[in-house]
Amino acid sequence: MTKPDDQKISAALAKATCALLGATAIVPVQAEEESKWDFNTALLYYGEDNDRVQDLSVSLLARRNLLDDRSITLGMTVDALTGATPHGAIRQPVAQTFTRPSGNAAYTVPANNLPLDDTFKDTRVALTASWQQPLGRLYQFNVGASASKEYDYLHLGLNAIIARDFNQRNTTVSAGFAFAADSFDPVGGAPTPLTSMLDVGDLSNRQGSQDKDIVDFVFGVTQVVSRNLILQANYSFSDASGYLNDPYKILSVVDGVSGDTVTRTPPPGVEGPSHEYLFESRPDQRTKHGLYGQAKYYMNGKVLDVSYRYMTDDWEIDSHTVDLRLRFPMGDTKFLEPHLRYYTQSEADFYQPSIVDGAPLPTYATNDYRLGNFDAITAGVKFGWQTRNGNDMSVRLELYQQRGSIPADSLIGNQVGYVQYPDLDAVIAQFSYRFGS
Amino acid sequence: MKIMVTLGLLAVLSGCSSMGVEPWDRDILAKEEMQLTTDPIEAATDDHIYFSKEASSGGRGFGGGGCGCN
Repeated sequence: MTKPDDQKISAALAKATCALLGATAIVPVQAEEESKWDFNTALLYYGEDNDRVQDLSVSLLARRNLLDDRSITLGMTVDALTGATPHGAIRQPVAQTFTRPSGNAAYTVPANNLPLDDTFKDTRVALTASWQQPLGRLYQFNVGASASKEYDYLHLGLNAIIARDFNQRNTTVSAGFAFAADSFDPVGGAPTPLTSMLDVGDLSNRQGSQDKDIVDFVFGVTQVVSRNLILQANYSFSDASGYLNDPYKILSVVDGVSGDTVTRTPPPGVEGPSHEYLFESRPDQRTKHGLYGQAKYYMNGKVLDVSYRYMTDDWEIDSHTVDLRLRFPMGDTKFLEPHLRYYTQSEADFYQPSIVDGAPLPTYATNDYRLGNFDAITAGVKFGWQTRNGNDMSVRLELYQQRGSIPADSLIGNQVGYVQYPDLDAVIAQFSYRFGS
Repeated sequence: MKIMVTLGLLAVLSGCSSMGVEPWDRDILAKEEMQLTTDPIEAATDDHIYFSKEASSGGRGFGGGGCGCN
């Protein structure tokens, strides 16, 4: 009598032998369940207007299904980033000079221009790996690891998810956990929060590299409602602790009446800031809670994908996100999918455009526009088709727009009508190709 | 607290047990375009873009870390 295990072993041995002999294997029955690698690849361009951030990114995600519903997934993304980004100083009717983050040079922003840090240039490599397998008849287990490296940043993470099916697999309950240990090694060293931007060559307020840890939990329920409707609901919890500042963000120190930035003069023969600026300061702890719901509905070939997310955190940032996709089939091998996303957030409780000279310093302050009050809209379309050999290709083009506002009561004197939220327009273009070996 | 969570979970599950389809009625749900995440790279790319431009992240999955951009 031959047991199934013996059959597997003998099939594997037969394959190995054939491989060694260079012969074409006679594929055993069991091996037919084993598919080859499935590759998802993508090329992305992300570009902001006014010479702000540009990103060119290449991604590869390879998945292999193994016997007994087990699978392995490996991913890699390489990003090349350039461009300028607002660093938090407010516009002035005169030119402003800043010390670069490295501390060894200075640059000048013309009068009436939004100050941008134009030294932004980075390459990021991110790797992911995950393993999925059933545990018994009703459980699925997934464990993964992630790592990414930029010039000044290192991320290392682990995650695990367990899911159980109920009700003839119509209901799936899942619980996930992730832990990340990241470290920041800013150019020139991390500045001490709320200390001044110093003259070129003076690194006396810089510290070494900084760490942060992030713990995430996600609990979810997926429910098949009918033959053409599936729902998902998640609750997520995230806790970040450690260094949560952006070491390159600053605030202008302003006169309490005019609102103009206070000037300073560097010592003779030394380059340095023309005005007073302080490095930002954020709490070293942040706890976020999120609720997420998604519905996928099949309507005569068309697929509606709707999701909503609510997030709130102890920095007093609340956000709402609505995402809509509608996929129209075009014949059997093509589709068109318009996409609309709306996002809105309130500002952090320590968000302020500037710091008043002579007043007691706040414990926390930032003018990072990403912690401000803004709405964002993404609108785009994706076109997908199948190639003659059965592989999938798609292109998508989207426009992303941020429009923000600064609370009127936080603007002082001349800042009213002059200091504005740095609105953003960006293009997202992506080409994807999926093929199997 | 534990009892309440367990009771809540049981209530949800018993409510859900009246929904769903028989295993042989899963033809549409099995389609690729009906998966909750149809394009994993696009989903990851979007998560990364919005993580670096907005204050909220995650929700659909894990939201933390991985980039010095925020």
